[in-house]
Amino acid sequence: MFFGSKTGRFLILDFRFWILDLKNSSYKLTVLLSLVVMAALACHPVDVPSPVVETREVRDDLGRVVYVPVKIERAISLAPSLTEMIFAVGAGDRLVGVTTYCNYPAETAAIEKVGDTQTPNIEKIIALRPQVIFISTASQLEAFSKTLGEQGIAVYVTNPKTLDGVLENLRQMGDLFETSDIARKKVIDLEGRVSIVWNEFQRFGDPRPSPRPPKVFLQISRDPLFTIGNESFLTELIEKAGGDSVTSNVATAYPKISKETALALKPDVILLSDSEDNTGPSDVFKDSPAVKNGRVYKINADIISRPGPRLVDALEEIAKDLRSKN
Amino acid sequence: MLIAALVIAVSIGSERLAFFDLSDTQRSILFDIRLPRVLLGACVGASLAAAGASLQALLRNPLAEPYLLGVSNGAALGTMLAFVFFEQFFFARPLFALAGAGLATFTVYQMARSRAGMNVERLVLSGVIVTTFLSSIIVLFTSLLDAARLRGFTFWLLGDLSQATMSGFYLTLGASVLGTIVLRSQARPLNLMMIGERDAMDFGVEVGRVRLIVFGIASLLVGTSVAASGSVGYVGLIVPHLVRLSVGSDNRLVVPLSAIAGAIFVVLADTVARTVIAPRELPVGAITALIGAPLFIYLLRRN
Amino acid sequence: MLQVKDISVWFDERKVIEGVSLEVASGEIVALLGPNGAGKTTILRALNGTVPLKSGEITLNGTRLNELSRREIARNIAVVAQENETKFPITVIEFVLAGRFTRGAAFGWETPADIEAANNALGMCDLSGYAKRVMNELSGGERQRVVLARAMAAETGILLLDEPTANLDLSHQALMFRLVRERCRDVGASAIVITHDLNLASEFAERVILLKAGEVFAQGTTDQVLTRENVQRVYEVQVLLDENPASGKVRVTTVY
Repeated sequence: MFFGSKTGRFLILDFRFWILDLKNSSYKLTVLLSLVVMAALACHPVDVPSPVVETREVRDDLGRVVYVPVKIERAISLAPSLTEMIFAVGAGDRLVGVTTYCNYPAETAAIEKVGDTQTPNIEKIIALRPQVIFISTASQLEAFSKTLGEQGIAVYVTNPKTLDGVLENLRQMGDLFETSDIARKKVIDLEGRVSIVWNEFQRFGDPRPSPRPPKVFLQISRDPLFTIGNESFLTELIEKAGGDSVTSNVATAYPKISKETALALKPDVILLSDSEDNTGPSDVFKDSPAVKNGRVYKINADIISRPGPRLVDALEEIAKDLRSKN
Repeated sequence: MLIAALVIAVSIGSERLAFFDLSDTQRSILFDIRLPRVLLGACVGASLAAAGASLQALLRNPLAEPYLLGVSNGAALGTMLAFVFFEQFFFARPLFALAGAGLATFTVYQMARSRAGMNVERLVLSGVIVTTFLSSIIVLFTSLLDAARLRGFTFWLLGDLSQATMSGFYLTLGASVLGTIVLRSQARPLNLMMIGERDAMDFGVEVGRVRLIVFGIASLLVGTSVAASGSVGYVGLIVPHLVRLSVGSDNRLVVPLSAIAGAIFVVLADTVARTVIAPRELPVGAITALIGAPLFIYLLRRN
Repeated sequence: MLQVKDISVWFDERKVIEGVSLEVASGEIVALLGPNGAGKTTILRALNGTVPLKSGEITLNGTRLNELSRREIARNIAVVAQENETKFPITVIEFVLAGRFTRGAAFGWETPADIEAANNALGMCDLSGYAKRVMNELSGGERQRVVLARAMAAETGILLLDEPTANLDLSHQALMFRLVRERCRDVGASAIVITHDLNLASEFAERVILLKAGEVFAQGTTDQVLTRENVQRVYEVQVLLDENPASGKVRVTTVY
């Protein structure tokens, strides 16, 4: 017979929970329990997930206490920036699942995909038996993470808001995966590159007769016109590269901005997040100094949208664009 | 009043403009961005309200509304297909939108119709079914096709006037003026049809022809509006309702006055959308739905 | 003048009317009688061309009905049917003016002549002062009179009435038939009336058509058709016949 007696019992149990559920009308619980059963069926013969492992207590970016195994063998990343970080600290081989958006470094191609950032496949995640799942708050997975937490899977949330925050995350990853040495080296390397940019900005960034940093408009999409606001790490990044984001006082991270306002901004430089709906600057900029002087630059959308180690690449590229006089 | 609304709308925006002695930038803001947007808003409002008023009379149902009947979503799907397959061709979007609107109207009408005639619940339900069905096709498209290329669509679907251009305005203006005139010409037959299709037939109305004209023109109006600005919801519900409250139910007054009041309503709603969280913007459809949805529930309960 | 030659009407696969012939001459009232489901309303609908025929033909003043536009038919034939409710606040005068649709341009407004005809019709139907009232706020009987007023305002040569007295009290039943009678006498109009009230039919109609199961059971003058045997066979009840002492017309009484 295909179903063993144990699974049979699970099915009955599950059915009882359904009835319970009708009484409590707690939908989530039912879904969860059904998933447990399905997962159990999937890895026949049935064994209780996660045998006792030694754990330690850490705090994530939200200040939550998370119990992670001392030795993390199986991890899943639900954000491309986190995947890049984990590879950067030399722990990429311990990733058993990533999202369909994770395309860097090349090794990610061989790792199991668990859906995209917004709609990961929870069945697949559970079937991969991870010990820790890394998510970023940008992916809006608070409710989802609770479900995983109840499964005995640690959920570690990162929420870097600045370049320094990204570097701090790298150190944390080093601690978590016990690859602190690689992480520390990586951080020192990145800090070095950041300070080179900063020094060059000090040297070249303030040339007379223009005593102010260039005004930069970062265009995320052309129609509707989305840009960056005060909550985006890119506002800080542009500053560090020696520019001044003209939308730094607009609320939220990625606002849709009024075309009237945009027209009045008159940026000196326009940066385009390179994608198919964003191939040129919006028409409202046709009289801006940026368009008139041909100072419109495309930047790889991946490196500027991910608060990961390649943010420094983005910083260098922006700095180079800001310094080049055509 | 329409002129007053237009003047108010043009003088308010996220950027303050001195009305005399404009700098080049300010002139550009006024004429290239704000004016087309306000004018397009007026045309879209007029189109949707006139279409709503006549559809209500035709279907003998004050709750009939392009957005709720799935007509807007049909047009949205059409626009999207045109965008995906015929991006270069300027007239493809309004044409496909028109076809989509017409198909959706026809489908809802056929579904809502029965031997016993058409009741309110059946019509609203058919509209909801067609709307959700079309929405799921739209969602399917956005997930299957390149996400970046269609990203703007999700915003646009809520009704968004920020992509206004002068050429879009001329097309919508032509459609709204022509459409309102044709619908006004059918106002007297519509008065009879509002009493009952049988009654209208008995007293000399070519019911089939009137139905064809009104469905066709309503699809044209909704199609061009949606192609220009996405689905701005509830305009076709709120505006004719208010007009009827003040002038009664004679369509010879209701249709043209709805067009004018619709223009005023959308222009003012968009002024709120443009300025309330400036320099950021809301989609105008969010404002109209905010006013329209409670009114819809009120009307449904009263029926 | 309306001539019906051997018409049949089918709804989908179901036969509703079979081989009906009749004629309505100027100035007369014809009563269409029969039990429920005998096809009375269907014949009435066929008479103004709103129900398609399977066979046979109807001619209006010598022209076949299906060669005329709806507007041309409506100019000659007005209908008084059961009014169905509408969700819109339509006023009495707007409702009655619908009867003048065929007189004006579709685009335009009513002429003073239209308004006058509508007001006259309201007066006739004991509805003076009702013009601005809203239809939905009227009683069933008042609405029924508005429906009659609309047909009167149309000033047609032929009136088709489908149970016009169903909602009316005794005095308004009499008023209704008196009005129809006067219209026929004064302008030579003709009327076809469906009713379940055999005595009203006997009182006002010149001729009677008795239907059973979609076919004409008997037609002729009131005296010829309203016999005890005919009525008992068509309605399948016991009746007594005598003479109305006031008018000398046949009076039918059901035996329970």
